[in-house]
Amino acid sequence: MSGIYIHVPFCKQKCTYCDFASYPKEVGKVESYFACLYRELEGRGKQLKDKTFSTLYIGGGTPSFVKSEYILGAVRQVKKQFNLTPDAEITIEINPGTVDKEKIEAYKSVGINRFSIGLQTGYDDQLKNLNRVHTAKDFLECCNLLKGENISADIMLGLKGQTIDQVKKSIELAICGGAKHLSVYALTPEVGTPIYTDYLNGELLSDDEVADVYDGVVEYLKGKGFNRYEVSNFAMLGYESKHNLNYWKRGEYIGCGVSASSFINGRRFTNTFKIDEYVNAVILNVMPEISSDEIEGEDAEFEFIMLGLRTENGISVKEFEKEFNVEFSKKYAKPLKDKSQFLSFDGETLKIKPEYLYVQNDIILAFMLK
Amino acid sequence: MSIDKSKIRNFCIVAHIDHGKSTLADRLMEKTGQVSERDMEDQLLDSMDLERERGITIKLTPVRMFYKAKDGNEYTFNLIDTPGHVDFTYEVSRSLKACEGAILIVDATQGIQAQTLANAYLAIDNDLEIMPVINKMDLLSARPDDAAMELEEILGIDATDAPRISAKTGLNVEDVLEQIIHKIPAPKGDDSAPLKALIFDSYYDNFKGVICFVRIMDGEVKQGTRIKTFMSDKQFDVTEVGVFSPKMTAKDKLSAGEVGYIAASIKSIEDTAVGDTITEASRPAKEPLDGYKKALPMVFSGVFPLDGSKFNDLKDALLKLKLNDAALSIEPDNSAALGFGFRCGFLGLLHMDVIQERIEREFDLEIITTAPSVSYKVYKTDGEQFSVENPSRLPPTTEIDYMEEPIIKASIFTPPEYVGQIMELCQYKRGVYKDMVYLDKTRVELKYILPLNEIIYDFFDSLKSRTKGYASFDYEPCGYQKSSLVKLDMLLNGEVCDALSIIVHKDKAYERGRQIAEKLKDVIPRQMFEIPIQAAVGGKIIARETVKAFRKDVLAKCYGGDVTRKKKLLEKQKEGKKKMRSIGTVEIPSEAFISILKTDNDN
Repeated sequence: MSGIYIHVPFCKQKCTYCDFASYPKEVGKVESYFACLYRELEGRGKQLKDKTFSTLYIGGGTPSFVKSEYILGAVRQVKKQFNLTPDAEITIEINPGTVDKEKIEAYKSVGINRFSIGLQTGYDDQLKNLNRVHTAKDFLECCNLLKGENISADIMLGLKGQTIDQVKKSIELAICGGAKHLSVYALTPEVGTPIYTDYLNGELLSDDEVADVYDGVVEYLKGKGFNRYEVSNFAMLGYESKHNLNYWKRGEYIGCGVSASSFINGRRFTNTFKIDEYVNAVILNVMPEISSDEIEGEDAEFEFIMLGLRTENGISVKEFEKEFNVEFSKKYAKPLKDKSQFLSFDGETLKIKPEYLYVQNDIILAFMLK
Repeated sequence: MSIDKSKIRNFCIVAHIDHGKSTLADRLMEKTGQVSERDMEDQLLDSMDLERERGITIKLTPVRMFYKAKDGNEYTFNLIDTPGHVDFTYEVSRSLKACEGAILIVDATQGIQAQTLANAYLAIDNDLEIMPVINKMDLLSARPDDAAMELEEILGIDATDAPRISAKTGLNVEDVLEQIIHKIPAPKGDDSAPLKALIFDSYYDNFKGVICFVRIMDGEVKQGTRIKTFMSDKQFDVTEVGVFSPKMTAKDKLSAGEVGYIAASIKSIEDTAVGDTITEASRPAKEPLDGYKKALPMVFSGVFPLDGSKFNDLKDALLKLKLNDAALSIEPDNSAALGFGFRCGFLGLLHMDVIQERIEREFDLEIITTAPSVSYKVYKTDGEQFSVENPSRLPPTTEIDYMEEPIIKASIFTPPEYVGQIMELCQYKRGVYKDMVYLDKTRVELKYILPLNEIIYDFFDSLKSRTKGYASFDYEPCGYQKSSLVKLDMLLNGEVCDALSIIVHKDKAYERGRQIAEKLKDVIPRQMFEIPIQAAVGGKIIARETVKAFRKDVLAKCYGGDVTRKKKLLEKQKEGKKKMRSIGTVEIPSEAFISILKTDNDN
């Protein structure tokens, strides 16, 4: 099972926390960008003829911000150039306030079957602070258009003045809208973003406060029938994101468009973050990659552990040993012993105990140090 | 051709710290044309980076100058620089043995200070001719008459014709040069007698082997002379002799009265102890020169490599430093917390500081040092008696009959308005008042007997802060006293961390235990579990703090599968982890071990 990722680096306006490749001022380049994206898809597809792909994820930016014909073109191009399974999970990220009935119908017509909505919070003042383009009402209207579809919503933790009750209300709103999957991420203030100033001034929630809110969310969602299948991802049974699960299983994926990352044939590579550079590269028929690393040996083993331990099911020793041909419990005896109180390990499966999922870095580091 | 000894003067300069010793030395070199003004780097003698930065002299640096005197003759001056700080008293006495006279500098604005006295007495004890000089005449606040009077009253030195100079501006420095000829005696010694050369310093050169800095007392030495020392059986052929001008300059020979260096392809540091006498192998002198009193280390601290695999590098570094620093003592040590390292003995806190910095700078080694300790005498119930410098080596309380701790005689010089604060401080530090002398209207000397283990914790800093920097302090060891001492252990997550144990007076245990626990709480980063920090005396918990468990460290969203970025973040955290030490399951940063020093809430 492999995945395809497509990046759409356009949006109406930049959110205060955003440090992704997303350029509201470069909307004039949409046409040439997609032309190049199709060409990259063609090139990558040819190289990967012998692989089968079962997920496609269109992220951004705001993919729903550009005209639907570009998205349709991209999906069609994928289907043409790659072996995409007929029942593939095809996700698009959408922002309330950028979609209408026609857009949704168009998405559905081309086979898009999963909609990931960036809600972040159900409180309009908080949305405004984040410079989001939509309101809570926009979200509900958007959900109305998506009635009966597979909906996921993003919720953000750690906003200025945010309380656990507000987060619960926001989640309730998402569930009301029909979300069967929730991604609940803590806000990460990145250097250079406007929200970093708030962080420096101590206006965001502290890590301890975020942890309190997070614990509350885990408890609350359990009661609502959502299972935490990864540290930040919750789903009702059968609604887990296959595309994301593939990342955590260290499966292969190809990413097209600016800033997209790939992992194919043991190599990780990332495309340029700049639209102009990307366009020029594609026109000149050269790879738009800016970094490339062959991942081998212990590096690969560590990735397997680091990614797998994020999930509820942890890592399978059998799969690990098959992949790397080493005796897991012998090679990692030290971290297994040192961190035993935080781990559940029965010789076949290694997991982080649920109560320690949110403090897993320290555990992962022990495996890195061995 | 033999040198005319009557035209040689060997001398040193002694002074209280900051009274202008190095500046005067520079000026003398400049006036004798030894160094042109153009080439003059400030304070030539202080060649170690550390010396320049701190404005102190640590090593002994001899330098040779030629002076054309008013009587028409040319004289050779050998100036041997000496360290000013109290910790380095021992080094001062080394250089004094190589001289006939000492220039005693007194700051015209401050008068006689603690080390003026200490160093002047040392010079007198070594039968040196003292030549007083009053410095800093360029300052408006100069009171040269008072300084001269103090010299007479306190030290009994006639200062009527003491040159009143400014080393800074060069004022009257010629008078100093002239007086050196008239006041300081020429060296004696017999060129034809068997060689007697006093080693007053040495260092290791990668090409030439050990370089001995010597004062020739009798006889002569040149390239090819077969030499031996009194303390070692080995013999060596001299490969080079020379003088300092101020860089090392080779010469045909050195003869009685001269100061210079000898290289003889000596590979081992141990073969040429400082204080030993070099003589000819074929015609040895009957007896060695008076050596030095062995300097006793007073302050002990564990020194461990941050990276455990660098143990041998640390060993080499310490041995090289010990080559010309007999006062540094080294003994292998190991700690459950810190692994293999050394227990080092130092003359005092500054000496400790300087050695630690030299290890880090000159040998590029990162080290962890533990809180300093002193040497305690332990008398066991079974009659056994021994010394303990390492708190973790203290036997269980039940086996100890009693203990003794080293005490010092402290002289504190201060303006009278601070007497109250100083007395309070000394009392807090378990001091016993001995005497108070008004030196003049503006200065008082307070005398106290203090336990050394109270001095090694920030006494000096407290003294300075209480007196706005006006008080100065000097001490000398004066034996041991019986004392109620206990070992204070620190427990992290229930386990004793041997590297954090200290020995304290019973009455101070509670307070220090609480302070250290608070301090550790600040320096130990939060971990996945709650860490109780406890202070215990003999198994009884006397203070407790808690480092709360951290709640969140998960890395944000793997955006678009960007695994590489996340891995890089983890790699960075991994490097940080490597600098931590594990005590059981608790990880503590290396600076925690020394930070417990800085706990005195003294305001």
